[in-house]
Amino acid sequence: MSTLGSLFVREMRLAIRVGGGAWMGVLFFLCVIVVVPFGIGPDLNLLSRIGPAILWIGALLASLLGLDRLFQADRDDGSLDLLLMGDTPLELVVLTKCLAHWAASGLPLVISAPVFSLFLNMDPLATAALTATLVAGTPALTLIGGIGAALTVSLRRGGLLLAILVLPLTIPVLIFGVSAANAALDYSLPFATPFAILCALTLISAVVGPFAAAAALRFSSD
Amino acid sequence: MALIDLANPTRFLRLTDRLLPWLVGATVVTMVAGLYLSLYASPEDYQQGATVRIMYIHVPFAWLAMFAYTVMALASLGTLVWKHPLSDVSAKAAAPIGAAFTFLCLVTGSLWGKPMWGTWWVWDARLTSVLVLFIMYLGIIALWRTIEDPIRAGKAVAVLTLVGYLNVPIIKFSVDWWNTLHQPASIMRMDGPSMPPSMLVPLLVMALAFTFLFMTLHFMTMRSEILRRRIRTMRQREASGAAGVATATTGARPGPAHSDTKPAEAHS
Amino acid sequence: MAMTRKQRRLSMIGGAGAVLAVAAGLILYALKDEIVFFQSPSDVAEHTVPHGQRIRLGGLVKDGSIDRQGETVRFVVTDGAADLSATYTGILPDLFREGQGVVAEGTVGNDGIFHADTVLAKHDENYMPKEVVEALKARGEWQMGADNPAAKGAPAADKTSQAETPSAPASRTN
Repeated sequence: MSTLGSLFVREMRLAIRVGGGAWMGVLFFLCVIVVVPFGIGPDLNLLSRIGPAILWIGALLASLLGLDRLFQADRDDGSLDLLLMGDTPLELVVLTKCLAHWAASGLPLVISAPVFSLFLNMDPLATAALTATLVAGTPALTLIGGIGAALTVSLRRGGLLLAILVLPLTIPVLIFGVSAANAALDYSLPFATPFAILCALTLISAVVGPFAAAAALRFSSD
Repeated sequence: MALIDLANPTRFLRLTDRLLPWLVGATVVTMVAGLYLSLYASPEDYQQGATVRIMYIHVPFAWLAMFAYTVMALASLGTLVWKHPLSDVSAKAAAPIGAAFTFLCLVTGSLWGKPMWGTWWVWDARLTSVLVLFIMYLGIIALWRTIEDPIRAGKAVAVLTLVGYLNVPIIKFSVDWWNTLHQPASIMRMDGPSMPPSMLVPLLVMALAFTFLFMTLHFMTMRSEILRRRIRTMRQREASGAAGVATATTGARPGPAHSDTKPAEAHS
Repeated sequence: MAMTRKQRRLSMIGGAGAVLAVAAGLILYALKDEIVFFQSPSDVAEHTVPHGQRIRLGGLVKDGSIDRQGETVRFVVTDGAADLSATYTGILPDLFREGQGVVAEGTVGNDGIFHADTVLAKHDENYMPKEVVEALKARGEWQMGADNPAAKGAPAADKTSQAETPSAPASRTN
């Protein structure tokens, strides 16, 4: 499938070279992390207790950020029509685009999370658990977000609506991501159980997301 | 062409015109009977006292909230798979009613929870999943309003509705899968309802009344949606002459004669 | 690509099915361990929760254990296997009574007593007219959670706490 390979490379190139690239998302992530201690006060014990939750919410909001342009940019320059008419199944095209989007914007969030966890007074074990949950969980956020991006592709200002449509669907990912990360803080909680469900949610959204997004894209064009 | 295309909704309008007075009557009769039975004639619970009476409206609201979403999911399949012309009208009409029922379910549950549990709200699986249902209803309504073309909006909303349907089994089984504060099912359970007939009968009468209420509101909203689309079509035709006709129909295609009774069956 | 459109479509659906099967397997693996809204007194006893750590404690209020001293209430939470003394100051929900399911939030103090700052009463799924229960009690036939047909499965917390206890060792190994 060299078609999908070259599509992946194209998406990565566009993501890195256009508009500040991946660093915009990381910067936004940092802003969310910085704002929280001002909101709740600089109590380090409290911060280390709710640190995984703050980082997860920050990652969730940051990964929603660039999603509205996922298909809109292609629609604007006409390449979406080529992808729609092409020989490659649209579901795989959507999956590839989502994976490229994750690699360009989600992966930097995962990499920067351990650094940001220092601000929140988290110990190394909690940071490791959190990073593992982010690696497993953030692809699901992008894949679910892909549905929202496809639904709002024809709208001029779809960014806010996209967030409203996508956020309720991401709640299970957030619940199990945070509860797995919290297991490292409180050893009476199991880690493997919520982590297994988190992985399952990512796999399910890897199937449901591309099929739903491809359907939405087809309907928006005819 | 346009007149033929509208033939199917017209038949629906004629059918509901005859049906609606009966439905309104059935709603009023069952609602009066249900309110009398549940608020006056039914006994007080041995643990909850008179607060148990909130249950007689809370539970029907919850059932109908999920029922309305199921109607929307079936209508979405109708839009995407069978391309039935009335199904997107049905889906659009059910959304605000379902949202209202979900909201009232949350409010009545909260009013019951404060004296019984000791809290207005708790983040357990059942309450959270119903709140997610409410937000999803609002998101669906927002998507309907944002996309101007009704056909395109119908298809986009149908995709979203079907993806969101994953939440409905989670709501139903959340009390069995997780240790929730919310109690497990009392009526729809394998070994029969854990409720004596003196309380079960009022609840079932209320559930029937709410189902009639939903059907009445749903058909009325569908009728006004059909009429709204006709007005839209006429305005567009007026504005753009003959050129507007091809794109501005309600999406109705002449189908087999029996197909126009389908929505009525699906919603009863 | 030598594959025809139909073959490609079929292999895509097959791949999707395989991914979903793996996801289902992961969920089945996870379901062997319950995810709990609260921990039972046995869990607290086994894990020796550090003092000052906030937990949610769930179980039944032990019969004859409620001791009211003004605003402060002392009671014992039990799951049949283990007991934990608890204390709470404030207004209790209507359903709080002996033998009733309860979920309390708070910390275990140095004295080994659970200091609750929130107490929620858990209602079970059973409904029963007041008069019937009083009549049964008058005839001496009313027994909570025993062979009374109306009280089958009651109180619900009893069932859940029993189901939880065997899963506790599994959660420790993870």
